[in-house]
Amino acid sequence: MERVKDWKCTFDNQPAILAEIAQKRGLEFPRAFTLWEPMSEAAKAYKEISGSAFCKLPFCHTVEAEALGGAVKFGEGTSGPKTREYICTTLDGLLELLPVDYSAGRIQEVLRACRSLKEQGECVMLKVAGPFTILNGLIEIETIYRALRREPEKMKQVFHKLEGELLRYIREAAACGADAISYADAPGGADILGTKGAIRAAEDFTYPFLKKAEHSAGAGLILLCPKTTCALDKIGKVKYNHVRLSKPMTYGEALREVMGKVRFAGQMCINKEAYILKNQQIETMELL
Amino acid sequence: MEKTKEELLNRLAECVVEMAEEEEAAGAAQEYLAEGYPASDGIMYGLVEGMNQAGVLFDEEEYFVTDILLCSDAMYAGLEVLKPFLGEEEAAKKRRGVIGVVEGDTHDIGKNLVRIMLEAAGFEMTDLGRDVPPKKFVDTAKEKGADLVCMSTLMTTTMGGMETVISLLETAGIRDKVKVMVGGGPVSQRFADRIGADGYSQNAVEAVKLAKKLLA
Repeated sequence: MERVKDWKCTFDNQPAILAEIAQKRGLEFPRAFTLWEPMSEAAKAYKEISGSAFCKLPFCHTVEAEALGGAVKFGEGTSGPKTREYICTTLDGLLELLPVDYSAGRIQEVLRACRSLKEQGECVMLKVAGPFTILNGLIEIETIYRALRREPEKMKQVFHKLEGELLRYIREAAACGADAISYADAPGGADILGTKGAIRAAEDFTYPFLKKAEHSAGAGLILLCPKTTCALDKIGKVKYNHVRLSKPMTYGEALREVMGKVRFAGQMCINKEAYILKNQQIETMELL
Repeated sequence: MEKTKEELLNRLAECVVEMAEEEEAAGAAQEYLAEGYPASDGIMYGLVEGMNQAGVLFDEEEYFVTDILLCSDAMYAGLEVLKPFLGEEEAAKKRRGVIGVVEGDTHDIGKNLVRIMLEAAGFEMTDLGRDVPPKKFVDTAKEKGADLVCMSTLMTTTMGGMETVISLLETAGIRDKVKVMVGGGPVSQRFADRIGADGYSQNAVEAVKLAKKLLA
């Protein structure tokens, strides 16, 4: 079987930038990870220092898992929220988790920060984690990797539950005015799952989820991690288009230019948004 | 019909490389023992041989993390049956290692894979888990009489902890008694050389080769 083309993750400079924000902008951490006002100030500062085209939120991958009941520790300073311990040991435990309450907790603060930034005229990108990232905050991820093979029907139930939660999150983000959703799920990449696993995950979760997300994101752009794009490509569910840009520009600027005109993009990692598209075109996608 | 030792060893290896259910692997181990063959051979030439084959497939990018996990489940199921029948001498011969993800980092998929492959290669590993303070690496290495300290991180901000561990090993007077191996996304051979580690490996299969080379 031909392999799923994969994309090597690129690391951003978040730790250094957050440290600069803490030292030079007087914002306190971990407070800015948990409360909407300092969070939105930190997002603006981050955009300015990094030269990004967007104010991006949140600063970690633990918000969704925490909203489902996950245990998160905030540490000191800018080290960032991390999973403290796993709250589930079985797939049944995952299926029994209560739905997310968007009127409470840190997820509510993130959405409020989105709304505040929009009211200030900022262009906002909400970073949404995929199922493997979320599950990695709730249960030993190896339990999931095993279950993909040993309990595929129950995994479909888990995927279905998370699909519902993520679609609700995206609708809430759209209601707050988020201009773009950035979707990524590195622990579910082909380099970890292998070709068969990546195909199964794309068929059982990614494609059906994104097909529904198309109608949940308001007018917003959905930016896919290229690992996700590669998996969708492998199952034959992507049609690529090339959109001419008004001039050569960075990938981030190009995403802003096509916002509202296309639904999906995903040729490059958002961490590489400073890359200049000299050929004056951006690749966008349609889901088939 | 009575099975030859070779047939039973091949079956053990197949259970591992084909990711058999744990009951099947345990059953194969029990059948092997019932024929009166030595447990150590069953482990080395059956289970570990299967894991080696899986390692080759991983190297060739035919097998991935999820496959190695399932192979290791079968291997551990067989080991659970065979280990109690190992002679004391064989148990004492094992090289000991301490492994963990450095403080501040919780990414442990790669570390777990390295642990599995080192255990398959005959190392007795103490897994400290994730977010491990530097002192814990050192205290555990002393407590276990470790030959090897393995550290992993996926974050640039926590790499410094590896150098701290090496410094603490020196302060504790055991630096020359252990080999230090490092790995993880942002780690490199250059980094390993700079901090005074004994080696860097890019993946779990290379980690085993490196560990054997360092302790030869």
